Amino acid sequence: MSFTPTELEVEGAAGGGTVPGAPASPPAGRGAPDRPATEWRGVSRAFLRDRAAVACGVYIVLIILMAVAAPLLVKISGYGPLEFDQDAVDPNLGGIPLGAAGGMGADHWFGVEPGNGRDIFARIVYGARVSMLIAISATLLTTFLGVVFGLVAGYFGGRVDMVVSRVMEFLMAFPALIFMIAVLSALPAENRQFLLVLVISFFGWPYLARIVRGQTMSLKEREFVEAAKASGATSAQIIFKEILPNLASTIIVMTTLAVPGYVGTEAGLSFLGVGVVPPTPSWGQMIASSVPWYAVDPAYFLIPGAFLFLLVLSFTVLGDRIRRLLGEGAA
Amino acid sequence: MIRFVANRLLGMLVVLFLVCLFTFVIFFVLSPDPAVQICGKNCTPEAIDQIRANLGIDQPFWTQFWTFLTGLFAGRTYGTGPNAIDCAAPCLGYSFQSSQAVTDMIVQRLPVSATVAVGAAVLWLLAGVAGGLLSAVREGRFADRFIAGLTLTGMSIPNYVLALSLQFLLVVTLGWLPFPQAVAFSDDPVRWFQNFLMPWIVLAVGMAAVYTRLTRANVIETLQENYVRTARAKGLSPGLVWRRHALRPALTPIVTIFGMDFAGLLGGALITETVFGLNGIGKMAADSITKNDQPVIMGVTLLAAFLVVVGNMVVDLLYTAIDPRVRVGSSA
Amino acid sequence: MIRKATRAAAALAAAALLLTACSGGGQEAAGGDGSGGTPQTGGTVHMLQNADFSYLDPARGWDGGVNAFYRLIYRGLTMQAAGDAEDPNAVVPDMAEGLGTPSPDGLTWTYTLKEGLKFDNGDPITSTELEFGISRAWDPEIGIGSPWLKNTVEAPADYKGPYQTGDHPGIETPDAQTIVFHLKAPFPEFDNVVSQVNAVPFPVGTGAGDEFIKDVIASGPYTLDSYTPGSSIKLVRNEHWDAATDEVRKAYPDAWEFEIGLEGATIDERLLAGQGTDVNAIAGKIQPATLARIQSPELQERAISAEAYCVTYMGMDTTQAPFDKVEVRQAMNYAVDRTSLQTASGGNQLALPATTIIPNAVNGHKDFDLYPSEGDSGDPAKAQELLESVGLGDGFSFTLDIRSNPIMQAQAESIQQALAKINVDVQLNVIDTSTFYETIGTPSQMHDAAITGWCPDWASSSSTMVPPLVDGRVITEKGNTNIAQINDPGINARIDEIRAMTDLDAANVEWGEFDEEVMALAPLVPLLQEPSVFLPGENIAGYIPNTSMTDLTIIGLSDPSAG
Repeated sequence: MSFTPTELEVEGAAGGGTVPGAPASPPAGRGAPDRPATEWRGVSRAFLRDRAAVACGVYIVLIILMAVAAPLLVKISGYGPLEFDQDAVDPNLGGIPLGAAGGMGADHWFGVEPGNGRDIFARIVYGARVSMLIAISATLLTTFLGVVFGLVAGYFGGRVDMVVSRVMEFLMAFPALIFMIAVLSALPAENRQFLLVLVISFFGWPYLARIVRGQTMSLKEREFVEAAKASGATSAQIIFKEILPNLASTIIVMTTLAVPGYVGTEAGLSFLGVGVVPPTPSWGQMIASSVPWYAVDPAYFLIPGAFLFLLVLSFTVLGDRIRRLLGEGAA
Repeated sequence: MIRFVANRLLGMLVVLFLVCLFTFVIFFVLSPDPAVQICGKNCTPEAIDQIRANLGIDQPFWTQFWTFLTGLFAGRTYGTGPNAIDCAAPCLGYSFQSSQAVTDMIVQRLPVSATVAVGAAVLWLLAGVAGGLLSAVREGRFADRFIAGLTLTGMSIPNYVLALSLQFLLVVTLGWLPFPQAVAFSDDPVRWFQNFLMPWIVLAVGMAAVYTRLTRANVIETLQENYVRTARAKGLSPGLVWRRHALRPALTPIVTIFGMDFAGLLGGALITETVFGLNGIGKMAADSITKNDQPVIMGVTLLAAFLVVVGNMVVDLLYTAIDPRVRVGSSA
Repeated sequence: MIRKATRAAAALAAAALLLTACSGGGQEAAGGDGSGGTPQTGGTVHMLQNADFSYLDPARGWDGGVNAFYRLIYRGLTMQAAGDAEDPNAVVPDMAEGLGTPSPDGLTWTYTLKEGLKFDNGDPITSTELEFGISRAWDPEIGIGSPWLKNTVEAPADYKGPYQTGDHPGIETPDAQTIVFHLKAPFPEFDNVVSQVNAVPFPVGTGAGDEFIKDVIASGPYTLDSYTPGSSIKLVRNEHWDAATDEVRKAYPDAWEFEIGLEGATIDERLLAGQGTDVNAIAGKIQPATLARIQSPELQERAISAEAYCVTYMGMDTTQAPFDKVEVRQAMNYAVDRTSLQTASGGNQLALPATTIIPNAVNGHKDFDLYPSEGDSGDPAKAQELLESVGLGDGFSFTLDIRSNPIMQAQAESIQQALAKINVDVQLNVIDTSTFYETIGTPSQMHDAAITGWCPDWASSSSTMVPPLVDGRVITEKGNTNIAQINDPGINARIDEIRAMTDLDAANVEWGEFDEEVMALAPLVPLLQEPSVFLPGENIAGYIPNTSMTDLTIIGLSDPSAG
């Protein structure tokens, strides 16, 4: 079925927010106008004036730097992510960390894991690598798929549109979380990170494609496209030269808003035990292994929990601000 | 309109069929042999073959798929001779692990899932609409910005982190809530309420945030519509303008989307039910995944897809009925 | 326990249940009568657990947790002795007047039933019902539980149980009180076979199809009141059970309530807090995290520790390089750091270094350590020497299969760390719980080595402890238990020799010797025995947890009106 791009489309997507893989998409800038370069400059200036947005941006950059410099940071802190430290835990009490707040101190900055005494700081730093790598790869792949299918369906319409729309509908009807867990638990553990990206993107792209499709359909009817057609431009030229630039702000907004969803999904899947394979550290996995300890050693879940929450929050706030700036034509 | 509904129904069946086929293929191709797992200690190759035959997984793919489909609509018979078991439609098969009928397992756990879902839905709807209205009325002022901050936080906090934090804070540290104990509503309503309070909150927080934002945006937009301005200009009392001209159109989309989100809760409740140890459908799905209990996973996946598809359709129909601005595409 | 759990492999991930199952003669630690007070008649005992029982039907279920549960509702000819008996591993008569009488050739075993036995519907239990119940084990769809009846009792190859074929040709019932078994081959431990959970009576003609999936016909002191799979089981007294016919079961409480599907951490929190009916609750072993919280004298008083009945070990594929060389396998035994393994597994209350295959709690255990090291923390120098002797001084790399379970991963990572000292690079292959046992039980799929566990089928002897792990004749393509794939003629001959011994005490001594002989060839590295700590509610009395099977039938409440 093909609806005209109305409220229904846009809000239908927002309603899909229950699926963790799907970003709770906003009523993204409908029919965003063509935007000259000067306006982009205005947007960035407005952005820099927003303290919350800057703080979030800084946090994200810090996490990325941390991920990149993980081996170096671990050298400074003195413990690797896989290194056991039996002296930091109490073998008589089930391996609880010695010392206050989960063994925090000069030796282990964020304390140690109960049982094996691995350094939590090192695992957080290395865990950031996994989170960022998976979230960013999944975002890139989803964006690519979403834009391509959305454009193709919206521009060509007819049977192509019908097939793509049906596939999208099918994927969105799927209980994605249940299915992701089922598929991942059945698949072999090798290349788990790659599989995670694949599975997340497979269920994630329709949410962007739907909006791209709707906007393409309305752009297609606009005068400048008609004009280009009349002057003999090929479909490829029209798509890349006329339509795609006009979709830029929508794509940027949707993409920024998708990242936190993927960070959360990766962590959630790792939390449920089907994500990244140990001993590779991941924040979700750290939280999962802290569950039995939450009452005794709250630092063990609070630290990865806080890092994860702040990362998701930062991306959400950032996406929100970008949407507002672009969507409302501010600047 | 009739054609639209018929088309929609057909589309729905196609989607469900595809979900079914897709799930079946994935498990047929990827999944490890459940027979070996069931066979366990002291197993022999003959025993494995026997179990494969018992489970019906010695058949070729299309036979299995066909049997499953017919079982869904017409029921099926398992086994032969004195051990034959009739499985009435809608037959989702039997659990590999416990030999319980999957349909029964789902029905048994439905009350818990429904309790979690309904409670959470009430909570997020109330909080979302109230928060959104307050925000809209106070647009740009402190309350609006405060609520905006809350919604961003609510949208960002992973539910298992929230669950653990709440449990640590409310139960372990402060002792305001007891540890959950299986208590029926009829036995001890207070205890029952205490048990479900945290799951409700955890499940509702993220959704409440989304609804707050939606309500706010809708109300602000409606207030700027011409007819509202006209009503105001005509001198209608602000209360009347609000109730009759602003609230209803602003909240209509919320109510319809709600149908869909509610239907989609099954997946969302998986983590909440698992973390709080509530024996609902979500936890059953999580458990059967670790046990590779394919019929149960199939059953839950199908049910979840069914609910989402039906929810979608109801929303579309409601929308068409309520909002004349939505024109049904002719090619639908 | 780890192996027994295969059938409910996932259950095991969280494991509370099986762990209940596996616990053992804590009597030394806790004194003769377990938790405090004297049990009184009446009240309801609650049991909190993570996983559901596998089956209500004893022909189908067979693991430590469910075996303990079956003991409350079913009776057999013989049974494992009461949890507070001098030797809780021993086999004693249950419905039979005494243990079985073998014929001189050992091929025929005769039992005499007591008088006055009844089902929960009031019908009498005679040898006919017992034969019927036992023959269900041969039904191909139902008899998926313990294989021991099928392994030992003579039956035609095409016999398919009472529903499909009819009466069992290998079991005779000359009169209402007498039952005679004809065996395939002499089996001196046949009393253990008829103590298996699937050797119980059922009224003739019942239990076909899925009848016993949701219901039971009880012969023991309790019967089913209500059952909601995955969330609760309630048992009430079976009014037709006569205590005079039962020397073992005490059946103090009037009812049992099993609360299922709870998270391990939640269970522990509830037991610690002891609110409401939780004072009357028991559960499986506590989690390592909880140990730190039971340090107050009041909780210390409540906690009970129980010995391990299972061994956690690393099996090495002896058919492939480098583990085809005995020196390399011995080097592994020297190199592992059992102290680090112990800490990784929850510390010294939840893990003990293992140097033998037979755990201390199993009859036949002999104490020895062929590959000693200071403080059990490994002897890398000695290991290096052995590796150099076969030209592997520069180390090598191998792949270790492990299950995706936090403790097992911690154990694997500890081995990784220890072997790195002798330049041996361990690649971990983490396998999902649902596929783990299939993978390592399929020799073509298993990698160089795997960490797993093994428990005996009965604890009164080691005949089911060592042989399945090292008998070269049990190696199969699928469902293999000899994961080292060692096929040594000397070992095989010794197994046959000891199995034929009719003096079971003497046989146990030989099993201990055999353990040491096997370890000289080092087909596996025993890593740990994992004892457990249990925390019953404060009103629970007569509780002696056991890591193999906790005897639920002797538990009661000190004050039945509380909670």
